Amino acid sequence: MAARFASRLSHVGRSVFGGLGNISSGSLRTSLDSTWNNFLSQQQQRTFIQMRTVLKVVDNSGAKKVMCIQALKGKKGARLGDTIVASVKEAHPNGKVKKGEVVYGVVVRAAMQRGRCDGSEVKFDDNAVVLLDKQGQPRGTRVFGPVPHELRKKKHLKILTLAEHIA
Amino acid sequence: MRLEKCWFCSSTVYPGHGIQFVRNDAKIFRFCRSKCHKNFKMKRNPRKVKWTKAYRRLHGKDMTQDSTFEFERKRNRPERYDRNVAENTLKAIKKIDKVRVDREARHHALRMKGKKAKEQREAAKELEQSIHMVKAPAVLQQEPSLTLPKIKVKVSQQQSEENHAMEE
Repeated sequence: MAARFASRLSHVGRSVFGGLGNISSGSLRTSLDSTWNNFLSQQQQRTFIQMRTVLKVVDNSGAKKVMCIQALKGKKGARLGDTIVASVKEAHPNGKVKKGEVVYGVVVRAAMQRGRCDGSEVKFDDNAVVLLDKQGQPRGTRVFGPVPHELRKKKHLKILTLAEHIA
Repeated sequence: MRLEKCWFCSSTVYPGHGIQFVRNDAKIFRFCRSKCHKNFKMKRNPRKVKWTKAYRRLHGKDMTQDSTFEFERKRNRPERYDRNVAENTLKAIKKIDKVRVDREARHHALRMKGKKAKEQREAAKELEQSIHMVKAPAVLQQEPSLTLPKIKVKVSQQQSEENHAMEE
């Protein structure tokens, strides 16, 4: 996340400098400030997980990256704790799951904030998924990284037991 | 229910407020409001941002060590509910708050001690040095009442003296 942020900043900076070539330093600074402020104020608006969203796989089922094909519940897309249908885009060479396979998964980390029942909100650093089979049982035997409480309500208790940290 | 502390400004986050950000290394950052959250996203260091408690404690503006802080330590063992204990705790909270506020006020007064005297000295010096910006020096010498009186003289006597001088 930090690397992406830094690269985005430098990219904007370079393009701005290229555009404003021969303006005097005073006006350059003010216009630069306004563009910087504009850029910073339009911080990333995180949204749902929808078709074509690439997610990280955080279990040891063999896949590394999957692309969402369908969010099973929700008109606008999937959120934290929802299940999705996905296509495996990248996989470990010798794993249970191969590239190009259509799989089911549950979203365990979402960059979009989700409201909790006490009124607060949680958000994670990236979008991550744990692969499931048709019955809803996880296909892997280990889960990496933090997982949210919301899985308990969705009855993914096996994932909660396998998790290293429950957020 | 638990009252948390905002990671950025160290104020209490009550239930229903704020955003919790969970990083991939499982570290949880709680923010009381979007101001703190946005500052965090800008990667600002709270120890360098003037209005946070972290800055104030680091720079000695607020007191750092006090026995009243021990009462607010995080306890992980849940207490069995006892009505008497709960009642006494509520009373104690009020008293501890009062004591803490008094001690903070004393710390502040100690920090600001000597400020009034310093301000007065500086004002007197400025008057002495920069009075030429307000009135021309020649005028000051003619009218002694315009300068700061070094010796207290009875006003009525001086006025009658001046009148005699004028008349003559």
